[in-house]
Amino acid sequence: MQKTAVQPRQSVAMMQSRRRENIAGYLFMAPSLLFFLGFVVFPMVMCLVYSFTDYTMTSFSFSGFANYQRMFQDAIFGKALWNTIILVLISVPVTCFFSLWAASIISKLHDRTTSFFRCVFYLPVVTGSVAVTVISRNMNWLGDASTALGCIITILLTTSVGQPIVLYVSALNNVDQSLVEAASVDGATNLQTFWRIKWPQIMPTTLYILVITTINSFQCFALIQLLTSGGPNHATETIMYYIYYNAFKLQSYGYGSAMGIILALIIAAFSALQFKVAQTDNG
Amino acid sequence: MSDNIAAIQKKMQRKQANTGGDHSVHQITPYEIAALVVLIIIAILFIFPLYWIITGSFKNAQDVIAKVPVWFPLQPTIDNYQRLFARPAVRWLGNTVFLCAMSMALTCVSASMGGYALAKKKFAGRTIVFSIFVCAMALPKQVILIPLLKEMAFLKLHNTLWAVILPTVGWPFGVFLMKQFSETIPESLLEAARIDGAGEARTFVEIVLPIIKPGIGALAIFTFITAWNDYFLQLIMLNDTDVLTISLGIAKLQSELSNDFGLIMAGAALGSIPIIIIFLLFQKFFTRGITMGAVKG
Amino acid sequence: MANFNAVHPEIKVKVQYLDYASGDDQVTTAIEAKTTPDIVMEGPERLVANWGAAGKMLDISDLWADTKDDIIAASPAVEAACKNGEGIYYEYPLCMTTHCMVINYNDFEAAGALQYLDEATHTWTTEGFLNALDALNAAGYQPTAVVYCGGQGGDQGTRALVTNLYSGQFTNADHTAYTMTSEENIKALTLLQTLVNEGKLDADPGIVAGDEIALFCNSTISIGFCWNASAAVSNKASLADDVKVFPMAFPSDDGVPELQGGIWGFGLFDNGDEAKAAAAKTFVKFVCDDPSQAAASVYASGFFPTRASLGDVYAGTDKAENGDYAIFMPFLGDYYQVTPNWAAQRTEWWNLLQRVFAGGDVAAEAAVYEANSNK
Repeated sequence: MQKTAVQPRQSVAMMQSRRRENIAGYLFMAPSLLFFLGFVVFPMVMCLVYSFTDYTMTSFSFSGFANYQRMFQDAIFGKALWNTIILVLISVPVTCFFSLWAASIISKLHDRTTSFFRCVFYLPVVTGSVAVTVISRNMNWLGDASTALGCIITILLTTSVGQPIVLYVSALNNVDQSLVEAASVDGATNLQTFWRIKWPQIMPTTLYILVITTINSFQCFALIQLLTSGGPNHATETIMYYIYYNAFKLQSYGYGSAMGIILALIIAAFSALQFKVAQTDNG
Repeated sequence: MSDNIAAIQKKMQRKQANTGGDHSVHQITPYEIAALVVLIIIAILFIFPLYWIITGSFKNAQDVIAKVPVWFPLQPTIDNYQRLFARPAVRWLGNTVFLCAMSMALTCVSASMGGYALAKKKFAGRTIVFSIFVCAMALPKQVILIPLLKEMAFLKLHNTLWAVILPTVGWPFGVFLMKQFSETIPESLLEAARIDGAGEARTFVEIVLPIIKPGIGALAIFTFITAWNDYFLQLIMLNDTDVLTISLGIAKLQSELSNDFGLIMAGAALGSIPIIIIFLLFQKFFTRGITMGAVKG
Repeated sequence: MANFNAVHPEIKVKVQYLDYASGDDQVTTAIEAKTTPDIVMEGPERLVANWGAAGKMLDISDLWADTKDDIIAASPAVEAACKNGEGIYYEYPLCMTTHCMVINYNDFEAAGALQYLDEATHTWTTEGFLNALDALNAAGYQPTAVVYCGGQGGDQGTRALVTNLYSGQFTNADHTAYTMTSEENIKALTLLQTLVNEGKLDADPGIVAGDEIALFCNSTISIGFCWNASAAVSNKASLADDVKVFPMAFPSDDGVPELQGGIWGFGLFDNGDEAKAAAAKTFVKFVCDDPSQAAASVYASGFFPTRASLGDVYAGTDKAENGDYAIFMPFLGDYYQVTPNWAAQRTEWWNLLQRVFAGGDVAAEAAVYEANSNK
């Protein structure tokens, strides 16, 4: 009897506290939700809507899946997609590997020196692509179809290793030293220590770096616009630049939006894949 | 035996030093020397653009495009800067600072509140809201520019700095980062505050904010740099000479048939040196904060 | 600007500049955002063929009422370019220029190549051009010139080069289709491809006109394909000591070049405000036709007046050498930039050049270009 008498009162209290949590939660969320929904989610939804329209400077009409069909027949889109994937497949592992390598060296140096190197590698991130392009404009191999994409990737690398190096330096310093020393007492080589002890511990950092580098590489745009406009002969055309070209040079807003939707889906798929792989890797 | 004690002592020292730490005992191998040389060469390549821009901005019109590269301006001229400041360059710089500072302030306020709520408030729909935030982070920003442009036109904000500020603040990274930081707030502290009868606002200001302060610092500098370099968004949203940012201003210095690279270099120097100084000043703050956020992810 | 406000203090004018690389895109965004300016200064390819055709511009035929004859007297091509097919004027022209080439007189002199050109008329034939290239190469002035094709910047130069070599036409007569597969144009592209293969001429898909001009100014190359009166002024300070600028028309088989023109004038965006439109018209009329202002406006642009009555605006000023470029005005050719799909064509154009210089089959590549441009 007693039990049943108590229960309703408890659940009232729980409901009250849950309601309080709800109200407080949403009040705290309100400012960020407002900006996020208003200036990110809403345009995203509109983008989805536009992707089903024939939308140019002079016309606006629904066209079903026409834009998506057009995409699959568009040879330049195919090329742009291919280039983008190459760019990601090369730049992501290289960025991760190089920054891990550089971090492993500079993290062993004196604090001052470490911080000097960290700053230097972060420099291109801070000064932005514009500064890098001001001087790399005269590099001749940008003009050759066979080397242009490689050149773009190289420049992209310089602007993208900054943050990974910062992250890896801190992650390596946070590795549990007692395990490292135990291993070296056991006579493990440096390399063995690295793979068995350090690598698993910095795995979360690696995953984070993989994801942000992937996203950034997919969105490589400013470099292309400033350096090659997608040329020579579409050798450096990336999806992002092709979207811009279609939307703002040819004013095919609908077609540009459709390509944007596809790109977003591809990035999401890549990120999900990385999470999956990293999780199984970690046991 | 004594070796073991030394090892333990060292470990404890490390724990105290937390990051950075002392590496004085480390012996340098030949491999490391070789690697260091390679790193120094790469570092020079990284510094070179900045060197080239700054020296270039003091070269005269002949030297700046000379066939044989002029590595250092032996007859430096401030002519480029004079011509730069004959344009509204100071105004552009002011616009950029306002834009970045405003984005930074609004992002820090809204993201720290939102991140705290996502981490510690068990409101209905929390997981869904958080997943939407995470998914949106993968979104290519440029894709939403077309509808965003229409929206800003509708709100009569196109051609104002707000058209750049509002989407920057809406970007989900800040909330994500601040959620990671808020996870570190001990539940017991919040519980204690509740028992003390502290209201939500007071708890947030007096308990939460001090704990997530490093995160806010990192987010602030990160937002500032991102906003400074977000060329594309500025390009689409700002047209009037009065509302240009410094990067847009630099772009407008280039004309089709002339090669005023000296002027462009001066513009690039003006556009990058302030942000480098800001980064150097707040570097520690930044690296610590961004690392904590990422590693906890 | 100050002059205008002295005469019309009731009208406030604010100026903004467009950069050449993304200026088009910016007007596009402004049109979409409905924050277009009232007045824009541009060429017919945009005012008439692009924005005019899209219904974004005001009909400004009334401005033409008392000046039409004067403009036709200066150049009938200008008058024709400023109106659409139905005779509605969307542009009120201020100034014009012809794009030309430039050579380093000193190099030509030293290589003994001056004999292949006509110094008095600044023209040469295709044969003379080829001989000059041989002479320069023989004398060690390499590279002689660079056909730039890294982007659309300065493509008026490469277009004029190709069409003039064998007197081809870029589009058909009524400006509805691009005609790159014509016999003359194929021949010209093939000739350029051969010259590049033989090393007599360079092609660089990594640079645009601005870079090419830099190479000319620092005396790396002896011939530039992208030049005009305004470039002569703006690059004066950066010329290396051994460079002597000598403007030339593009070489053609008959020795009579058809130069690419540039026409700049004003158009009014349709912002739905009649009072503002009237004020804008007053401003445009003042800048172009006010006796105290017209010559100064043209002078500021560095180009040539589109009113026969203005005469030489440079005589006796410190831009006197600009007057030299007036020699090319009689060679002003067809203003084909008003052909539909102009923006898409420009991208196709530099991609075509890149494919040709990468060794592609000229006829096949030109056909691809035409198919993509004539959509």
